[in-house]
Amino acid sequence: MIKEIRLPDLGEGIDSAVVSEIPLGTGDPVAKDDVLLVLESDKASMEIPSDHTGKIIDVLVSEGDDISTNDLLFKIEAVDSGPTQEAPNENLEASKEPDPKPDPKPDPKPKELKVNDSVFASPGVRRLSRELEIDLNFIKGTGAKGRITKDDLHGYIRIRMQGGSSGLRLPRKTIDFSQWGDTETLKLTKVNKITGQRLQESWQDIPHVTQHNVADITELDGYRKKLKEEAAKTGKKVTFLPFLMKAVVLVLKEMPRFNSSLDEKQENLIIKNYFHIGVAVDTPSGLMVPCVKDVDKKTILELSEELVDISQRARDKKLKPDELKGSSFTISSLGGIGGTGFSPIVNPPEVAILGVSKSEWKPIYNKESKEFVPRYMLPFSLSYDHRVVDGASGAAFVERVSAVLCDMGLFKD
Amino acid sequence: MSKTKKVDIVVVGSGPGGYAAAFRAADLGKKVLMIDKDEQLGGVCLNRGCIPSKALLHISKVVAEASSLSSAGVSFSEPKIEIETVREYKNKIVSKLSSGISQLAKVRNVEILCGEASFLSNTELDVKSDKGQISILFKKCIIAAGSSSSMIPGLPAGHPSILTSRTALELEGIPKTLLVVGGGVIGLELGQVYASLGSEVSVVEFLPALVPGADEDIVKPLKRKLSKQFKSIMLSSRVVDVVPNEEGGLGVVIESGGENKELTFDKILVSVGRRPNTPQLNLESTDIKTSEDKFIIVDEYQRTSVDNIFAIGDIAGNPMLAHKATHEGKVAAEVASGHPAAMDARAIPSVVYTHPEIAWVGLTESEAKSNNIPYEKGEFPWAASGKAMILDAQQGKTKVLFDPETKQVLGAAIVGPSAGDLISEACLAIEMGSDADDIGLTIHPHPTLGETFAAAVEMYTGTITDLYIPPKRGK
Repeated sequence: MIKEIRLPDLGEGIDSAVVSEIPLGTGDPVAKDDVLLVLESDKASMEIPSDHTGKIIDVLVSEGDDISTNDLLFKIEAVDSGPTQEAPNENLEASKEPDPKPDPKPDPKPKELKVNDSVFASPGVRRLSRELEIDLNFIKGTGAKGRITKDDLHGYIRIRMQGGSSGLRLPRKTIDFSQWGDTETLKLTKVNKITGQRLQESWQDIPHVTQHNVADITELDGYRKKLKEEAAKTGKKVTFLPFLMKAVVLVLKEMPRFNSSLDEKQENLIIKNYFHIGVAVDTPSGLMVPCVKDVDKKTILELSEELVDISQRARDKKLKPDELKGSSFTISSLGGIGGTGFSPIVNPPEVAILGVSKSEWKPIYNKESKEFVPRYMLPFSLSYDHRVVDGASGAAFVERVSAVLCDMGLFKD
Repeated sequence: MSKTKKVDIVVVGSGPGGYAAAFRAADLGKKVLMIDKDEQLGGVCLNRGCIPSKALLHISKVVAEASSLSSAGVSFSEPKIEIETVREYKNKIVSKLSSGISQLAKVRNVEILCGEASFLSNTELDVKSDKGQISILFKKCIIAAGSSSSMIPGLPAGHPSILTSRTALELEGIPKTLLVVGGGVIGLELGQVYASLGSEVSVVEFLPALVPGADEDIVKPLKRKLSKQFKSIMLSSRVVDVVPNEEGGLGVVIESGGENKELTFDKILVSVGRRPNTPQLNLESTDIKTSEDKFIIVDEYQRTSVDNIFAIGDIAGNPMLAHKATHEGKVAAEVASGHPAAMDARAIPSVVYTHPEIAWVGLTESEAKSNNIPYEKGEFPWAASGKAMILDAQQGKTKVLFDPETKQVLGAAIVGPSAGDLISEACLAIEMGSDADDIGLTIHPHPTLGETFAAAVEMYTGTITDLYIPPKRGK
């Protein structure tokens, strides 16, 4: 029996992916759970296993294809009866005389587009949305009282065609840069595109304010080095980031507004009583932000270990979609690279992000001894959503983080 | 040896749904064949329903209005009714409209076949036509075969004195006494026609109310009118037995409140509802699924359980209304032609073309109450309308129901002359998602009955000036 293999629903938020590898070809035997395809989605790579045992009789995708949920991928001559749908019977017309006139378009499948009573749109717009296969639930109406207008549909399509999903962007003009010199074209990766889009949304939607500060980490860094030496004996690493994470979580517990999200109507603040910290990781295919869960319940050593693992897997595109979700606050550390300070962009739906730059030895004036003393200083900045956090709280937050990083006692648990 | 014919789309039935489907599909470039068992196109609506009944109701309306003018100082002599001319007037309208449909079919190259169609398979129909047996191979089929009057079991079938809406509209004489069995739309409309033509009309209804489905307050002015016009209205009653007598009349036993009484009538009109014409179609030879009460089951694309067969109108479920059939017919034609249409109308209006007329759309109050749907309402009594006073229609009323949160129109009901014309604004309001302000702030012409819709809304928003609302509700 011939079985069709279609792309299953890859889970929340992922509706398309790029085929990065096809291990098997036409004519190859295949066993149930054999890998048919390797995909690179928005942020993670994943494997699509076979539901059947049999022989591949047709491969309908090729490497580099952008495929969406329910796209036909393979036809397999199955020897078992797996769970997927049967290939539909040949059309009844085929057994009869040729059709007088073929249909211009395939028929829509029943029950595919739902009639939605709650959508505020006129009958004409509802019809147009069916023709354009747009779910009106995803569109924000710009008409009076939020009515979805025909212009809204057209605007939505324009944006979709540019690869965006919301916000309004006008089409850009094509510029021939070669008129000024030699150029080359580099294709944006999937990750580049997604991050670009999210960053733009964040930058446009959120009124950002950034607070800068420095923390004296001379003692803390000494302590870290000691821990590092001890850990090295068992082949483990201790970096500075876990200390920062612990410090931030401590302050988040004191100032819960920083660990929150606005609800969709922007009427309520949802305070989170969990402390999952997103960590920005630079990878060959672009910026990723894996999430370290329950930072408050983990030790410095545990966090160090987890960070090493998660950033390595981010670089290898081996993260599971779940590992990229759920963070309540993000830290972006450029300390290993350099710079004296920067303004990070909030990672929505979070309301604040901490940016960390490179620590340096600075002469700090000591009032008591009346002399300059060398201290190891960490520059950092906090960007926050000004709708949720006011300036005074922002300043208090960075002051508190600075104080916590100076206070060694808090880390010796 | 029977002939075989191949078509893109075959439409079974030429009623308001069938011809809409056929014409729409033809306009979308399909080769269409429309089959009807009747030579005269238009189905029940045009030939034996909406159109002839409304023609006759028009007469009864003018008669009533003429006589009501006496209070304005203008008197006419008693109307002289020439039944043959009345019948001709009605038939002329019907045949003119029907030949209009034939014309429209012709210019669209929609082929017409007169005959009885029944299915042979999911792709083939058998038609017994005047040109002999023809088998139709189709790619798509749209079933628009309609419905017929239900009969009360046990009645002497085929008795000339037992009428259905069909025979009643043929107007073969005016009975002196007429019993209408069933106090719904059809029974009351035809009862009123016969009453104004001179019959003494009685109504028997099984349920405790007339026009089941409409709100009681909206039916009330009609009931008041009918109780003057009719000899009697027997609610919560039923016909137990009918015995033809020697004079050609009928002895009828009616049970009411546990007691039986025997009455004699010249004729009986049975209007106890309609049933879908599914049995004639031999659906057993297809994979089409039907419901318990024999309607063809369809999805929002009017598609049956067989992918290439669609069903629309009466045969595809309640409400059995021509305008619903037309809309569904167009949806089916578009989907069958490969277009992404769907039946997503939010409201289907209902109209009773009596005097006074009754019309409602969307949510009714009784429905809201029995389903615990929150609503708020605005009501405008026509006694405060100048136009209604001029038309002697002060008993009328316009009522609008709103969503308490969004203030959007959920439903409306109107009783009074032209209610059926007036309800369209409420239909548009519901489809457009209009709220109270949208309607209240729209300028309505004065003096009209149409302004009662805006007035009902203003009763709700508290901005009315044609009536005085005590301060607690005003703003």
